[in-house]
Amino acid sequence: MNDPQVYARWLDWGTRLSLAVLVAAFLAYVFGLTPAALPLAEMPRFWRLPLERYLALSGSPTGWGWLAMLDKGEYQNLVGVALLGLVTVACYLRVLPGLLARRERLQAAIVAAQVLVLLLAASGLLAGGH
Amino acid sequence: MEAAAFPWWIWPLALFAVTFLLGIVAVLAGVGGGVLFVPIVGGFFPFHLDFVRGAGLLLALSGALSAGPALLRGGLASLRLAMPLAVVGSITSIGGALLGLALPTSFVQTALGATILAIAALMWRSKKSEHPDGVRPDALGEALHMHGVYHDPASGRDVEWRVHRTAAGFFAFAGIGVLAGMFGLGAGWANVPVFNLLMGVPLKLSVGTSGFLLSVIDTSAAWIYVNRGAVLPIIVAPSIIGVMLGAKIGARLLRVAPAATVRRIVIVLLLLAGARALLKGLGWWN
Repeated sequence: MNDPQVYARWLDWGTRLSLAVLVAAFLAYVFGLTPAALPLAEMPRFWRLPLERYLALSGSPTGWGWLAMLDKGEYQNLVGVALLGLVTVACYLRVLPGLLARRERLQAAIVAAQVLVLLLAASGLLAGGH
Repeated sequence: MEAAAFPWWIWPLALFAVTFLLGIVAVLAGVGGGVLFVPIVGGFFPFHLDFVRGAGLLLALSGALSAGPALLRGGLASLRLAMPLAVVGSITSIGGALLGLALPTSFVQTALGATILAIAALMWRSKKSEHPDGVRPDALGEALHMHGVYHDPASGRDVEWRVHRTAAGFFAFAGIGVLAGMFGLGAGWANVPVFNLLMGVPLKLSVGTSGFLLSVIDTSAAWIYVNRGAVLPIIVAPSIIGVMLGAKIGARLLRVAPAATVRRIVIVLLLLAGARALLKGLGWWN
């Protein structure tokens, strides 16, 4: 199997899984099956605010702080969002060994650089949130 | 009537309905959902633009990731073409996202309006070249192995392709990354002309590779919004579900819908939404 086919297979399953988790978490959240940190009826007060003011008033976490609040419905949704953000990293990492084995050094370096950029973005270091 | 007069659930429901329609129209017009979502939802819904941009990126990302497997399997997206450009685009999209979240909302709203109006003009005027002629491969493109063959199912023949003006392409995708990150637009509207008209990539491969490239560029920027807390599930989830379902209907209508008419409708929608964003940013229509 060549690189595009391998990439496509991982992308396909990764995206399906991410969207399934997101939809399931959202339905549980919006139909009140999981408790919410901010009551849904109060959301109109919050969603109109600029980000900094929303964070200050709601006490919502930044960075990966939401992982500590996975008992709340809105943060369970972020599991699906995070998976969507990690699908590309997983696909790139999957094709990297093949490139190295074929000694395609330049392509491998490009793939490695991309993974680093994506992980840096995901880390929260650039966004200043923890 | 004030938005606060409605019960909370009206808005996610309305968002689902609007994004469902956007999903249909976006497929028929050959644009990503993000470019319509951000100005329309940002202009006519009570959500702050910070959250709308975060949702727009995730919406565009979901669409690009979902379309990716079929494009790659069909040979209509090239990893070798996209991967080097994606590194540059994703770095600048991070910068764009940070910049967009740091600048005053009125400035971002005004710039968004101007950008959307420019996109509408670009869509109106843009030419396309099915198989660009006179492509003289340059050293950079060759060094990066930006060449190959794809099978065109419509004509039933294999099409050989190469690129030129590779350095200019890198600069263009750097700029596209900034705009994608700053406005949460996705970037298919810009990727395709750069691939096709600037770099000489055949049109079908340009469209397919654009989707793949978008999935990488938008991922980087989306993480900035997630980490800054600018992702509200009550906005993101119904939008993604709506646009994905709409896109499925749109794909079924693709054979019978008048593409040129739909494209004109999209341009009109962009003009209206762009004007609304511009006037809102300038404080003339709040």
